[in-house]
Amino acid sequence: MSFLELRDITKRYGTLNAVSDVTLSVEKGEFVSLLGPSGCGKTTTLQMIAGFVDVTAGSIRLDGRDITHAKANSRGLGIVFQSYALFPHMTVYDNVSFGLEMQRVPKSDRKDRVEEALGLVHLSAYAGRYPRELSGGQRQRVALARAIVIRPPVLLLDEPLSNLDAKLREAMQFELRDIQRKVGTTTVMVTHDQAEAFSISDRVVVMEAGRITQIDEPYRIYEHPETEFISRFVGKTNMLPGTVQTVNGGYASVSLAGVPVEVEAPGVALGETLTLCIRPEKLRLAGAGQGRLPGRVSVRYFLGSQWLYHIDGPLGTLMAVTPNDGSAPLDVDMPVGIDWSPSVVRVHRGVMAEAPDPALEAE
Amino acid sequence: MTRNGPVALFFHTLVVLFMLAPLVIVCLVAFTPENTLSLPTRGLSLRWFEAVFHHPDFVQSFWNSLWLALLSATLAVALAVPASLAITRWEFPGRGFLNGLFLSPLIIPHLVLGVAMLRLFALVGATGSFGWLVAAHIVIVTPYVMRLLIAAITGFDRSVEHAAYSLGASEATVFRRVTLPMILPGVTGGWLIAFINSFDELTMSIFITSPSTVTLPVRMYMYATESIDPMMAAVSAIIIGITVVAVLLLDRVYGLDRILVGQK
Repeated sequence: MSFLELRDITKRYGTLNAVSDVTLSVEKGEFVSLLGPSGCGKTTTLQMIAGFVDVTAGSIRLDGRDITHAKANSRGLGIVFQSYALFPHMTVYDNVSFGLEMQRVPKSDRKDRVEEALGLVHLSAYAGRYPRELSGGQRQRVALARAIVIRPPVLLLDEPLSNLDAKLREAMQFELRDIQRKVGTTTVMVTHDQAEAFSISDRVVVMEAGRITQIDEPYRIYEHPETEFISRFVGKTNMLPGTVQTVNGGYASVSLAGVPVEVEAPGVALGETLTLCIRPEKLRLAGAGQGRLPGRVSVRYFLGSQWLYHIDGPLGTLMAVTPNDGSAPLDVDMPVGIDWSPSVVRVHRGVMAEAPDPALEAE
Repeated sequence: MTRNGPVALFFHTLVVLFMLAPLVIVCLVAFTPENTLSLPTRGLSLRWFEAVFHHPDFVQSFWNSLWLALLSATLAVALAVPASLAITRWEFPGRGFLNGLFLSPLIIPHLVLGVAMLRLFALVGATGSFGWLVAAHIVIVTPYVMRLLIAAITGFDRSVEHAAYSLGASEATVFRRVTLPMILPGVTGGWLIAFINSFDELTMSIFITSPSTVTLPVRMYMYATESIDPMMAAVSAIIIGITVVAVLLLDRVYGLDRILVGQK
């Protein structure tokens, strides 16, 4: 049996199902992220684990104990809130010490443990400050110290990094993971930022409209998205619609604007419409006249370590990302050939809607 | 920080003068040796301060008012804290009605309240009772406390309370250690405004005070309708003096910013 088990938990507000039949097992010491756009039910799920929201149906077990209807203050979980939720009228030391005080830890032990927790988040020098005297990143670390000092069986993180600026967020991601490894606490994090979820989680749970659509390792989710939604939400994807021309065993020949392409697609019928999904970094740009499709550079963006090109061609605009190897980039209006290796193509049956911008989707 | 221009400075000076002038004039008049309300031109005298203490009814009224204001402000806060929490945080049947009920004394003229209370006191046989006077004042000052508290609670981030719960605190502990300290500026500000309003209240109190419970404003009003002499200015000066000392002490001991503005 897993350490933390959610079984078919559902949250209903009137007739609206905020969370439907969510089942998830988290192993001891694991770092799991709930990823999805806003309104997908990920925060509600976290709040049900925390005990702030009543579970309509289903059960939650922690270390073999049923906590479905236990009060929030008896669960002993450590929680880091999006707004940090520090006690503004208490010093950093008192903030961190609060949970130990509630557990009636003797004063001398309390001091050692508070200092240990503050040391872990590199804030030993700030014990006497008030939250208002700290920067966003420091407040975030106080919130983390306050949550882990009580040695919770499970640490819950609600969008912990979303209020930090980009550079600090990246640094804190790794620090967060580092601290989690050191302490070894089972952690569930809620985020809408896929980069955040991918870089620090052992497993990612993708949620959509109150349901779990895929649970997998970050790499697997990126390379083998199980639904259209995931391939659109997770990273950028080129989607090429085409019609099946010939079927040969598990393979099919698909016509993309007149160009035949062999793909592995068992069980499709002649004349069926398929969508081929290819990640931008898997497209290869060759000289004009080479490759599978012709194209022309319409825009290029310099991303530092990479170049992002928009290529106009017979299938509309495709995105291609190439590593910046130090040589001169392609010029705008330059004709190119677009190529890819057959193994990088993911086939979806039917036509897919235009991909929304994941960044816009997130908020 | 931007500095004020000359026009702004001139305007601010006028505003401050306009607000302070009556207080300063009253205090000056209190030191007059004359028999009329006049600025002391022929030397200073303490005779009118002395006169106050020859009127034991004034001293008695001062204590009446002080106790009345202390009690009604404190009880109003004790009522308003749970009421504001309930009205701000929960949806329940009759919420709008309750909110309106708590605020209605603000809209009803004190004259009307005075007549109504007079009838009520007569009906229940409470004429002359200090306890019922306190109750009447609570009705008047509660809306002020409610307004300040509702404002304080509306801007409250509830995840801070959730954080305390998750750390194992009981509901009572969360209220005592987190909620109350965080809305303290609203509580103390509300208490002060309630105190001042009660101490100052004349219109309603005229109807419902009896000889043994006459408050200072009522006493001054009764005195002033018979004769106007600088003793009124002396009484006012004493009250202003007590207020200034109290505020200075409060600032020295607790810090006014902390009480009224909070530690943001």
